Formats: sequence, structure tokens, C-alpha cells
Amino acid sequence: MHFGATRALDGVDFQCNAGEVHAVLGENGAGKSTLMKLIAGVLQPTHGQLRVDGRDVLLNSPRAALNHGLVCMFQELSLVPDLTVRENLLLGSPGAGIGWLSGDSLARAQDVLARIDGAQIRMGARVSDLTLPQRQQVEIAKAIMKRPRLLILDEATSALSASVVERVFGLVREERDNGIAILFISHRFHEIEALADRVSVFRNGRRVETFMKGAYDYKEIINMMVGQKIEELFPAKIPVGSDAEVVLDVRNFSWDGRVRDIDLTVRRGQIVGLGGLDGQGQGAFLMGLFGLLRKAEGTTAIGGASTDINSPKQAKQQEVGLAYIPEDRKTEGLILDQSIRENLALAALGRPDLDAGDGALYASSLEQLALRHGGLDLPVSSLSGGNQQKVVLAKWLALKPRCLLLADPTRGIDVKTKTQIYAMLRQLADQGTAIVLLSTDYEELIQLCDETHVFFDGEIIASLNGDDLTPENIIAAALNVAPESRAAHG
Amino acid sequence: MLRSLSVDSLMPYAGVVLLILGGSFFFPQVLSADYLSQQLQIAAFLGLLATGATIVILLGHIDLSVPWVLTGAAILSTALVGSGNPVLSALAVPAALAFGALIGVINGLGVAILRIPSMVWTLAVNSMLLGLAVLNTGGFNPKGESSPLMIAMASGDLLGLPVSFLIWIALSAALAWFLTRTPFGRYLRSIGFNEKATFLSGVSTPSVVFAAFAIAGMCSALGGVMLAGYANQAYQSMGDPFLLPTIAAVVIGGTSILGGRGGLFGTVGGALFITLLTSILSVMQIDDAWRNIIFGTIILIMLLFQTLRKGAVA
Repeated sequence: MHFGATRALDGVDFQCNAGEVHAVLGENGAGKSTLMKLIAGVLQPTHGQLRVDGRDVLLNSPRAALNHGLVCMFQELSLVPDLTVRENLLLGSPGAGIGWLSGDSLARAQDVLARIDGAQIRMGARVSDLTLPQRQQVEIAKAIMKRPRLLILDEATSALSASVVERVFGLVREERDNGIAILFISHRFHEIEALADRVSVFRNGRRVETFMKGAYDYKEIINMMVGQKIEELFPAKIPVGSDAEVVLDVRNFSWDGRVRDIDLTVRRGQIVGLGGLDGQGQGAFLMGLFGLLRKAEGTTAIGGASTDINSPKQAKQQEVGLAYIPEDRKTEGLILDQSIRENLALAALGRPDLDAGDGALYASSLEQLALRHGGLDLPVSSLSGGNQQKVVLAKWLALKPRCLLLADPTRGIDVKTKTQIYAMLRQLADQGTAIVLLSTDYEELIQLCDETHVFFDGEIIASLNGDDLTPENIIAAALNVAPESRAAHG
Repeated sequence: MLRSLSVDSLMPYAGVVLLILGGSFFFPQVLSADYLSQQLQIAAFLGLLATGATIVILLGHIDLSVPWVLTGAAILSTALVGSGNPVLSALAVPAALAFGALIGVINGLGVAILRIPSMVWTLAVNSMLLGLAVLNTGGFNPKGESSPLMIAMASGDLLGLPVSFLIWIALSAALAWFLTRTPFGRYLRSIGFNEKATFLSGVSTPSVVFAAFAIAGMCSALGGVMLAGYANQAYQSMGDPFLLPTIAAVVIGGTSILGGRGGLFGTVGGALFITLLTSILSVMQIDDAWRNIIFGTIILIMLLFQTLRKGAVA
């Protein structure tokens, strides 16, 4: 299986047995999601064969996979927001469409919901009115009511609180004991520790190893995932004195009740991380700094001068000097149909002091990031994900920003590119650029950032630095539980 | 400029050559200078409208208010001339252009600020303009006449070529330069491909949308002024037959209806092609029904050709 120039999966043999919870580990872009999509019938392999119960099967649609009892709960929520919970549960269930709907499956879904602490979710409520955790509970119920033989849980519990996760795990164990096979994908080690029977590690589209849980410890598994020691990926931190010059200073930033009273200081030479579960306000905070939110309150000072930023156009001007690398490079960071050259110039075009047509503006960062391309006039869509992100970075670095805001810049990017980006960020920080890095990757928040603020429900719930910057502390803060109670899992 | 000389934009020119050769086979007078010059003159009216439409379509939007901006501009300019006051008469053309720009700004307001789909908003604006015109004239044909300037713009000759054609080509060339050489042109295409990414790159996308719709409104108004000069009067619904041929000319010229891709060079060819096709079909003296069917079929074939070629590339 391969996409464009890069192979997403390469000669993978993989087995999952009935009655086991099989955890699949790997970095973003390691091929996990591609494998799951193959099993769920979303993608078809270019080579190779899938077998269910020892028989070759052709899964050319999600429907075909469902007919074989292969059910997938994807991390991207698959509920239709404008329909009610009941309608969503019945969508695609057996008998739906033309014919009578069976009431049994709905009763089963309600039963499942009750068991995972979702009894208060009304069947008639519109999904768009539910909270993110509630939606995830409905997703789980929807998957289980289909009576799968193989259930794929892809980051299925990312938004759930610890106590609900425990109930979901109880349910999953019970299903396993009934002979169902479960493929479990999670980035949280303690969850894999708690649930998995076997573990497979993927890296760069290949299966590295499959082993029983407990055969390797945390460090060894990480090394397997990245193919090298974690410490080697990240540039060394250089301690910054508390008297270092303040580059970015944000006070009392609030927006619409969803972001509350955020204070943030970035000193010269510092990389400051923003962590937390998805949608806790850290993304909105970054957007607000860049002038994307209406009616945001609070003060922002860059290099000591207070600024009032209401649009990206204002934010990128020389006297402000902000740059924002958006979360989704394909729809927000780049114009895929245009050439690399045109994409590079788009940010510099509106700056009267820069000549956007001058290739020298971009040359140094492109060289440092080692952009691999077949010509700057080719469409940017011809590049791999990692190289596309390099174009986004170079486009903004041409403006020599004083403060660089990054929203999860390494998501879905290969390890080599990550290392290059880390090195570049560190160098920029040393040269005096304030760097605010939103990340969903704990390792980045720990190894790259000098200080990490963890968001929960719109507020900074913990600011960690030095020896406090540990996976346990970040996870505990992200879930808003005291660190001690998680220690056993860590 | 070289980028806009794609195969897509050359297709209508090939079509024009084929039409002239094929037409001359049946009607030798097609090759006469008089006939061709008249076609250039007529094509200019459609071409001016299509020029404005190209800019809006490159942006990823559509302007359905063309017919009544055209009619409104024609009514306004002929009424000013008809007043007999020499000052008002001299203001006829600038006032009509200002009217077009104003409607364009209103269109931009709905699309860029209120974020209503342009297809709906401009259709509503078109409908309101129709209502205003009827209120203003009581439903009868508006009084007034065209100024000598308007007549010269529509029917004059310069160096053996129709003035209307020269105006159209000059405007197209100027705008084509503007689109390829200025940040505005870059922004226009970028928004057509991906408005969000363009905005996040620090571009004031609303002002680009405003400017594009204003230019389109002025193009429609200029078309209206010149049509009024051609007919020496304005009349209700004079713009209605132009809407779909305008969009067809843009798309046949290789501009993607989804925005971003295309250019004015192709639109010039598209307008020439459609004008010539209409003319030759009417010369052929066949049944009206068959004429429409053939017209539709040929346009479909042109577009299918483009789509199939793209499919082969991708």
C-alpha cells in the first residue's frame, strides 16, 4: 500500500486472534491508520491479501468489512451532528435503509451506554448538542451494537475521563472474553499497559515486532517505535535564566468563555509548549494570538511593545512580527493546487518591506530544512507530508517573525523531518524568536520545550518545567487528576 | 502570462478557426471582412461581460446579477443623456460605471462579510435590480437616448477595426496584466483555490472579494452602456439573454468554474467562439429548436473534451 511517493505500508504481515486485545503502537505516520483502514474496507491494498477466518476476502467497501464482522471506531468522529443519537445509532445498522429496523440493537446500544456511564445521554438528543466525551461514548455504543467479531478502537477513549475509560476497558475485556478480537490503538502508554494482551510496534510502514505485554519496558518500546533513542531526536536544551529578555508576554487572555485568563511569557531562547487533550482551549488560544478570534480579551506584548491584533494581515506586519503555522497544512497552511514557489511567496506578498518574488528570502530555511523537491514550479501537492510542512515553515520564516506560533507542526510527519524541524526551532529560539508550540506529542512537550503549559477546559491547569516535565505529570494534568493516582500506571 | 496560454485556453481559438472554415464551406460570405468585423463588434459585448465574470469565477464565486446590472446601467446612461442637460449627458458613462461598481460592492458585501453563497446573493441582487427598474419605468420601455460617445463606443470603427472590439481587447489585456503581475491577481487565484489558507497567510481576503465584484460590476455596466449605444436605447430585460452565454464563454475559455485556474486569454477565445457559433447557426436558417439543440451539444462537446483531457493527465 502506498500513497504518492511514500509507501504507507510496506510488506506487512499482521495477525489478530480471537479473544485478545491487540495493541498497535507506532508514531504518527507509521502506518497504523492505513492498516486499520485496510481492515475496515476504506482502502484496498495494492499488494497482498486479507484473510478472515483463514479465507481470502475482498473488502472493497466499509459495508463489505461490516458483513465480515469487522467494525472500526475511528478517531475522527463518524457521527452526523444534525441527527439525533437514536438516528445515528441506527445509521448503517443491519436492517436500516429499506426494511424494518430492529429494536434489539438499539436496546443493546442503550445497555452499552448505561454501562459506560452514558445513561444520561438521551436517545432523542441531537449529536451536535453533546459534549465531545458524550459523542465518544455514543461512538463506542454504536460500534458494539453492531456485534463485531473484530473491533478496532482507534484512539477511542481520547476525550474520556479516567473513570469512564476504566468502565470502557471493563466492557472491552468482557467482549474479549466472549471471543471478540480487539485492535487497540492509543498513544497513552498506561492504557496499553492496562488493556493489551499483545503489542505490535509499527515504524515507517513496517511491523517492527509483536510481543506479549510486559516483554519490553517503556523505554525499549519507545526506541522500537522511533528506531533510535528519543534523546537523539531532540536538540539539547540550553538553560535560560529567569532574567532573560521577555519576547512575548500575554496577560489575561480570554475568549467567549472557552479560553479563560491565560497568562503566558516566552523569554529569549525559550520554547514554550502547550499541551492537553484536544479542544481544551489551547488551539483557540493560539488562533486568538494571531488575531483569528473575534472579541478576544487580554493584552499581548511582543518585545515589550503592546500590540492589538485583529487579523492575520496585521499580525504578520514587521512591527508585530507574528507567524502562525496552522494545524492542518493541507487545508489551512498550503494551497495544494499552486506551485511551491507561489505557496512560499503568499505570506511575504503583503509585506511592503519584503520582495516576495526574491528567492533568497526562502533559500536559507529551505536549505536548512533540506526540502526535497523536483522543481519549485511543481504543485506543492506533489510533495510528501513532511516536505509540505517544510514549505509552510519556510513561507513564514521568510518574514523573520519575532514570535512563531505552531499548532501541532509535526503531526503525521516522518521522524527525519521531525528532527530537522526540532533543530530549526531550537536554533530560532536561540536567535531570539519566541516559540510557542502546541503539541499532541508528549515527547515534544518534554524533550523540546523548556516549559509546558497544560490546558484543561479553557484554563492552564499546570505549568511544568525542569524535572516536573514528565509524561505522568502531563497526562495527569491533561486529564485533570492528581498525579499520585496515575503513578501506578506510569 | 505564459501560464494562461494553456491548452484549455487555446481550445476555443481552435474552435473559432474550425467554425470559420466549416462555415465558409457552406456560406462563402463568412470569410468576408465585413462579416468578420461585425462578429468582432458583437463579440465585444459578450466579451466584456465575460471578462468581469472571469474575475469573479477565478475567485471561486459567481455573479448572477450580470443581466440587470447591464440593463440598469443602460437605463441610467440613456436617461441621463435623454435629460438633454449637457452636464448630465457627459456624466452618463461614468455614472453607469459607478453604478456597476456600487452593485459590485453590494455583491462583495453579501459574499465577503455576510458570507452568503454568491450564487444566491447575486441572484437576489439581480432580482431586486429588476424590481427597481420596473418601479422606475412603470414597466414600459425606458425613455432616453444614447450619447454620441456611447454610439461611437458601440458602433464606431478605428483603423478598420470595430471600436467595441478594441475597447474589449484593451480592457482584457490591462486586466490580464493586472492579474498576473500584481499581488491582487495572486490573491484572487489563491482565494479561488483555498480561501482559508490565503486568509491565514495574512491576506485581507474580504478586500480582494470586494475589488473583484466591483470590477465585475463595472464590466457588466460597460457592456450595458455599449449595448445601449448599439441599439440607441435601453429596454427592459436587454441583459437576460446574456447570462448563460457569459458563463459558457468563461468556462469554454478554460477557466475552472471551481475557481483558481484559468485566465482572460481563454475567455476572449470563448466569447469569440460563442458569438461565431450563434451567428453561423442563425445564418444556417434551420429550425429554432434545432439551433438550440446544436448550440447546447457543441458546448457540451467542448467541455467534455476539456474534462476528458484533464482525466487523462491526472
